[in-house]
Order: sequence, then C-alpha cells, then structure tokens
Amino acid sequence: MPTEMFSGPLERVSDCCWRIPRSYKTGMRVDGLIYADDNLIQQIRGDQALEQVANVAFLPGIQHASLAMPDIHWGYGFCIGGVCATDPEEEGVISPGGVGYDINCGVRLVRSNVFFEDVKRRLQDLVEELFQQVPAGVGRDGKYHFNKKELRQLLRDGTEFLQRRGLATDGDLDYTEARGRIDGAEPQNVSDRALERGSKQCGTLGSGNHFLEVQVVDAVFDETAARAMGLKRNMVCVMIHSGSRGLGYQVCDDALKTLRKAPEKYGIQLPDRQLACAPINSPEGQHYIGAMRAAANYAWCNRQLLMWQARESFAKIFGRNWQDLQMNLVYDVAHNIAKFEEHSTGGKQRRVWVHRKGATRAFPADHPETPDRYAQIGQPVLIPGDMGRASWVLVGRPGSMDHTFGTACHGAGRRMSRTAAVRHAKGRRIDQELAGRGVIAKARSWKGLAEEQPDAYKDVNLVVDVVHRADLARKVARMRPIGVIKG
Amino acid sequence: MYEVFEHTADLGLRVRASKLNDLFSESAHGLFSMIVANLDAVRGVTKRKVSLPADDYDLLLFDWLSELLYTFETEHLVFSQFNVDINNEGLEAICRGESLEPERHLTDHEVKAITYHGLKVEHINSGWLAEVIVDI
Repeated sequence: MPTEMFSGPLERVSDCCWRIPRSYKTGMRVDGLIYADDNLIQQIRGDQALEQVANVAFLPGIQHASLAMPDIHWGYGFCIGGVCATDPEEEGVISPGGVGYDINCGVRLVRSNVFFEDVKRRLQDLVEELFQQVPAGVGRDGKYHFNKKELRQLLRDGTEFLQRRGLATDGDLDYTEARGRIDGAEPQNVSDRALERGSKQCGTLGSGNHFLEVQVVDAVFDETAARAMGLKRNMVCVMIHSGSRGLGYQVCDDALKTLRKAPEKYGIQLPDRQLACAPINSPEGQHYIGAMRAAANYAWCNRQLLMWQARESFAKIFGRNWQDLQMNLVYDVAHNIAKFEEHSTGGKQRRVWVHRKGATRAFPADHPETPDRYAQIGQPVLIPGDMGRASWVLVGRPGSMDHTFGTACHGAGRRMSRTAAVRHAKGRRIDQELAGRGVIAKARSWKGLAEEQPDAYKDVNLVVDVVHRADLARKVARMRPIGVIKG
Repeated sequence: MYEVFEHTADLGLRVRASKLNDLFSESAHGLFSMIVANLDAVRGVTKRKVSLPADDYDLLLFDWLSELLYTFETEHLVFSQFNVDINNEGLEAICRGESLEPERHLTDHEVKAITYHGLKVEHINSGWLAEVIVDI
C-alpha cells in the first residue's frame, strides 16, 4: 500500500483548526474538523489519515463533524486520534473500528511521596524489580489467572471484582473513569475464544506502545489543579499505558466478523470495509455494545493489577508498604472506547454514542462524571508521550464540550512507521542513548525499543500546545520519564 | 516469498507465490516471523491441524491467520512449517512448530489482530499476491 499525501481540500477554520468540507466526497454527511497548527497539519497531510477523517463522515447518524485531534495518524478504517458521535434517534451506528482492537486502551497515573532525590540511587534496582515483576512482551502470562466463571464476574463488575479480592481500594475506584465499571456489560456476549485469550493476561502489559514508566513531575503549569491531584515538582509517579489485552482484541475481531454483512443488510454505504458498523438499535449493534463494555471493564482490571504489581515492587525496593509510600491513584482514563453520553449539538441536548479512537475524554469542571476532588478543576487528562521526552497531565476544559464532545488528544502520535524507525535505529543502542538522557529503559525486544524510540514520535509538547490553545484541555504538569518498562 | 511493508502504527505483510496454497503457507510464515525474530530456531515437534470452511480468498486468508494467532495466544505454540491445501470445501492445513521458549526464541512483536484494512488476495499474471495489515 503506497503512502500518499492527502490531496483533498483543507480549509483553515482558526489557527489550530482545519476543515475538510463535506462537499469533498459524495456520501459525507458532515465536515471533517482537524485540530492542528500549521506545523502539525503538514505532518498529518503526509499519509492517508485525513482521507480516513473524510470516510468516517459517511457513518449514518454522525453529529457535528468527523473530528480529529492533533496527534492523528493513519489507522485502519478510522484514523487514530479520531472522534465521532452518533445519535441513535437518527439511525446512528456503532462501529467497532471507531473503538479499535484494544478496547479501553488507556492510561493511569499513580503518585507517591518519594521524590527524585530519594529514588536516584535506587533507580536501577527499582527498574530491574519492575521489569521482573510486571509481565511484559509477547507470550508472557500474568500471575493472576481467572477461570471462565470468575472472568465473567470480572467482566460484569470491573474493578469492584478485584476489590472483593483485596486487589483494589475505595480510592482506586474513586479515581478510575466510571469507577472502573461500565454498566450494561454483557459477559455472555463475550466469546469463549475471547475468554480464553483473557484468562491469564489480566495484569500484563503487552507490547507495542504499551509501557509502565517511572516518571517525575518536571514542571507544574497550574498549581491549583496540581495540588488537587496531589502532584508536586520532582515527585516520583508511575504511569501505565495498556488496555484489554487479547480479550479485547478478540471481542473486536468477533464483532467485525459478525458485521461483515451488516452494512449490506442495513443499506449502509461505506468507503472502507474496516468501518463496518451496525445501527445502534440493531441486534448486532446491541451485541457489540454489551461485549465492548465487558472488555472495557477487563481493561480497567488490567491496569489496576498492573498498578498493584508496581506498588509491590516499590514496597520491596523502599522497604515500606505502598500505603506508607502514598502510592495513590491520581486518575485512570480510557482513550479507545465508545460511550453513551449527553452532549449539546445541533441546537439541542441529546444522548450520543461518542467513539473515541485514540482520543481522551476531557470533561470540564463541574461535570457530573468528574470525581468530587476534581470538581473544581476538571477531569484529569493523561497524555503519554515518548520515552525520551515527556508525558503530560492536563485537565478538561469547557471548550471540549463545545467543540469535540468532551474530548482531547491521547498522545504524541507516530511520525515514523515501525519499519522506518527500525531502519533509523540501525547500529544504535537505543537503551544507551536513553541512559544518556537519564532514562533507564528495559524492554523484552530490541526491535520493540527501536520502534518506540523518541524520534519515531511527534513532539508531544506540540500536540499538547494545540489542545491547550484550542481550550479542549489545559496544561497542569509535564512529566519526565526516568525508568521505562516495555514489552 | 514475503516482505514486511510500512503502515504508520502497524505492520503490513506482502506475499507472493505461484500457487495459492503456497501463498497461504508463506503468509503464515510471515505472520510468525513478526512474532519470533529467529523463526529458524523453531523446531517442528508439535503438529496441529487447521480446518476452515470455504470463503472468499481474502476472508479465508484473514480467518487462517486469525486462527494461528489465536492458537499462539492461548497455547503459546509457535509454528514455522505449514502444509496448506485449499479446495472447494475450504482450507485444510497441517502446521508444525513448538511451544514458545523465551530462552531460545527471540520474541518480537505482539500481534494484536489481523485487520481488514487493505486486505487483498489477487491472482496476477501467473501467480498470487496477498496483502494484509496486522495491528501491533
């Protein structure tokens, strides 16, 4: 498949928003709107991501616009970094491709009362211990195994299931999106194959762009919000990026197979097979929604167990239990998910299915779904960057409700393909280069590290600047990686 | 013959063969080469049979690779030899390989899924061409 520049029409809306008019292609129901500055839009034009933004505009029931965040890149069907809201009252559809294979891939941030000065000398030991304890990479089972009956309970109850087993606290639930459990999960809609893939993988990192990082708060931009989150300059934190593992991938796979014939059955014209979808109120649509919610609950359990293992590793290295180390959850938020939410669009309030495919929910202050502690500041938005530069903590802003169905970006976005990154790394030792920048990185695979090297990503700072300027989310703190665990 | 091609966040597999059966076995080889970097080190000591009902060739390729990925994920079996027979009934294959051993096998990518994006199986000139993108 050749990589071609996007040659369609692109109109400037503002200094950080661009439009693909619906007149571009017959069949587009709404415009495409892309949040990017002059610099990023040039990079974004380099592949077919914008074509995909236009294609998503074909989906029945789509509201306002097919939206894209500044970190968009070429996906399959949907671009990564896309947002699409569909209204069931207007024959809206649900599309597994608009969620992705890794259902509820997301990020969590854990703080501590340890500061950079305290950890510097122990960092090597800490990273080694985390690397030993946290299963990562291909074909590695976790230490938590669940039989089918237990898994079904986990899929229904999410993090509450782990709490009953002493593997999660009230605080963990309070600071997880949806309290780590979406209602309406239908474990019986999850196939035996998916259950088998998930039985030994809860509490494992996986590979690709997933990571567990030891980070320090490098700079604080909003003191009030940082204080509400318990973040201080030079504080050591843990950021975890993973999703629903094989269980979620299989749920997506099963749904795409079921939906192979659905567009034809329901008379839906699609420009790309990977956009397969079904009306929200159809049996196929409802079946997927129940399974997707179950997989989302699994993902929250996965990140909870990853955090639990990180807490144990810290406790071992510092000789104090995690409660003493105050390793409390700051927040956990999904960036691959579809949720039924209330938004104001087209001049009225309506409940829409917001598909966020590589895009993070960013609800502003006083939103009912934001935990009380953050009611004044807005929901924390966690943006992982690359392993050499930075990650970010933001908070949702009212602009997100006005323009992007309560959504901001989800990461840096790739600049290089995996193969190009490996070529770029030829003859280099990425781990040694990172060590020179003060980052201890441990990975199961050299290639994995090469593919994920900082140069392979756009500068996350530029991406975050755009969502900040567009008032989708506001900068709170910049995080600097010091220890990285990868698959 | 297969090659890995670029797709921003993921990987593509382009396969050429003179016979359809070989196209499918080469595709499987290509898939496992993404998972284990030194596929030559995988011994053919365990045998598995795969049977799939007939479908369009592109969808059959999708189902074939998905089946292998599922077996790998649930049983940690790595395959390196494939004997594929495609006829009007569908696909029958004998796969040979062994259990994943991290000490001997250099694990590489975790393939999350086979995708439909750009999926194709084509009869061109005197041979066959397949393209498939996998989610990493």
